[in-house]
Amino acid sequence: MTPIAIQLDHVTKRYRAGRSRTIVDLISSRLDRLRGRTDEVHSASRGRVDATIHALRDVSFDVTQGAGVGVIGRNGAGKTTLLKLISRVTWPTRGAVRVAGHVVSLIELGAGFHPELTGRENVYLGGGLFGLTRREIDRQFDAIVHFADVERLIDTPMKRYSSGLYARLGFAVAIYSNPDIVLVDEVLSVGDAAFRRRALEALRRLIAEGKTVLFISHDMWNVRRLCTDILWMEDGAVRAYGPAAEMAEQYINEVNREALGNQSNALQSHRGGTGEVRYVSVDIVDDAGHTVLQIATGDTLMVRASYETSCPVARPVFQVAIIDVDTGVVIATASSSGAELPAHLDGRGVIECRFAGLPLRPRQYVLRLSITDSHQLASYDLITAGPRFAVISRGRGVDGLATSGDDEDGLVTLDYEFAHYGTVDVAAARANR
Amino acid sequence: MPVLHDRAVRISPAAYWELLMNLTKREVKGRYSQSFFGIAWAIAQPLATMAVFTIVFSRLAKLPSEGAPYPIFAFAALVPWFFFMNSVSTGTMSLITYRNIVTKTYFPREIVPLAQVCSRLIDFAAAGGLYALLMMYYGVGLGVWALMSPLFFLLLVLFTVGFTLATSSVNVFYRDVNPVVQIALQLWLYLTPVAYPLATVPARFKWLFMLNPLSAIIEGFRAALVFNRPPDFSLTLLSTVLIAGLFAASFAAFKRMDKYFADVI
Repeated sequence: MTPIAIQLDHVTKRYRAGRSRTIVDLISSRLDRLRGRTDEVHSASRGRVDATIHALRDVSFDVTQGAGVGVIGRNGAGKTTLLKLISRVTWPTRGAVRVAGHVVSLIELGAGFHPELTGRENVYLGGGLFGLTRREIDRQFDAIVHFADVERLIDTPMKRYSSGLYARLGFAVAIYSNPDIVLVDEVLSVGDAAFRRRALEALRRLIAEGKTVLFISHDMWNVRRLCTDILWMEDGAVRAYGPAAEMAEQYINEVNREALGNQSNALQSHRGGTGEVRYVSVDIVDDAGHTVLQIATGDTLMVRASYETSCPVARPVFQVAIIDVDTGVVIATASSSGAELPAHLDGRGVIECRFAGLPLRPRQYVLRLSITDSHQLASYDLITAGPRFAVISRGRGVDGLATSGDDEDGLVTLDYEFAHYGTVDVAAARANR
Repeated sequence: MPVLHDRAVRISPAAYWELLMNLTKREVKGRYSQSFFGIAWAIAQPLATMAVFTIVFSRLAKLPSEGAPYPIFAFAALVPWFFFMNSVSTGTMSLITYRNIVTKTYFPREIVPLAQVCSRLIDFAAAGGLYALLMMYYGVGLGVWALMSPLFFLLLVLFTVGFTLATSSVNVFYRDVNPVVQIALQLWLYLTPVAYPLATVPARFKWLFMLNPLSAIIEGFRAALVFNRPPDFSLTLLSTVLIAGLFAASFAAFKRMDKYFADVI
């Protein structure tokens, strides 16, 4: 059995909310206690019951050695509190936190650095905060400087450093301080893409070496690439804890459900057109005919819209477009080609637009719907921001990231393969020059 | 569920010491960098006070200095006094000042106030060097009782550390402590035999001075370095007991409170 690296045993953490206690509160509560009244009664009598925040409620879990655990959840779910408890920055109100080995926490990169000191001095100061001796830092010094790529500025006071450089050096000191357990709190958002990639690579290497990594991130892409397991926190409790692929699927589904759930006014806002014909309802329907909010890549997407006319309309054209909010129109369709529509519409009806074998990559999309005259010049109805839906990836991890080596990105998925012909011997070519 | 044996690795003594030295260095550098006179400012404070004391207390108020030149008499007391005062003055706020590391990394928290005290040792050494020059100038020599001065130095450091640990930790929870401490330090100078000898204190106030460990420390430094005479042993013993008690109590209290520093800072 793999040994356990981190254990939380019925951990509860409460914080006092609101105004901090002052010395007057202390004295008056002590006086009250002398008179036989309790703290709570006293506070309530002043109309100020001391509210406490339950940052964590009865949290228990084990992390095995060598695991990479992604910690996900909304803001305020208790993720950072969890890291602070494991790193001993703070202590639980109830319960026990046990760790096996040297913990290094990256709650903030370069937190211990002093701007007046040079990079070199700060490496020793920061390393010392992680429990290293001068001699141990000496051994790692070159690797730290190389990783952070600060050779040129190492003897410059750190107040001259850019924030990205500051973070880089902070990260380098932490990971080279010989940790058994590394706690990372959403710190990779600082710094450039190249640094993020190297930092993730370094964390991945640590996991491969058998170190335990806890990684808070809102970036599912990074979590999926790094982590074997996911701990899903919600309202200070563990919502779910398990294999990364499974947890990510659940999480993404829920995020989509929440983001797409309340669309009752989708047809009301951003409405245009002259009104001779109007959409009454728009649904996204799957193969089985169920109304859905998300649909898997490769499945069939059906847009089913009912309409109503206020007066007879000759040869209208129904338009349905799928929009990606960031990049624009993915596809715009019109009923003028294909569907057998009556020459005159009067009353109610339903129009369906069916996209078979949806080639879209996982993302959220918006529908744009309109009804125009036969020349597609004047709009009878126009819904610019209609119902939203999410495309998820089936079998390859819901967020479309999943399995190793999956480096696809973009809007559409197409069958492709790489081929390579011929070889160029680079070394020989250089030698010839 | 198997219970994990907790091995939150304790920091090694070497790493502890080096972290203390590094934080001290950070403190000293932060204080004196980008100032032209740098460490000289550490000497200016006791020197200027000595000059004022000499004019006010010696020339105008004609306070006795038990036969020694008054500037020497005052300076021998001002050096330990300012060490104590400055340590406590910045030490009280130190955990708040260092909030970014206290709330974000784990390390033994007492290192923060300890580093404040250590950084004042630099000032103490500089002012001590100036004291040696003053002794030469006034032709005051050292005798065999000067060998007692390390004892009083030790007592001074222990008392300062004990006091700073207490004020800094309580100040985390109750910020009113800091202004109270700052005011108390101003008054404390005059309730300690710095400007005058302990012998001139009226008998009915003597108990107050005896409960103040700084009286024994400062009188001890003077006996050792100014007058070359034995210190008041009973007073010294009493203060040693008081200082040891204070140190033990405030260290224990500090270690109990430090788990919750990050929650309230």
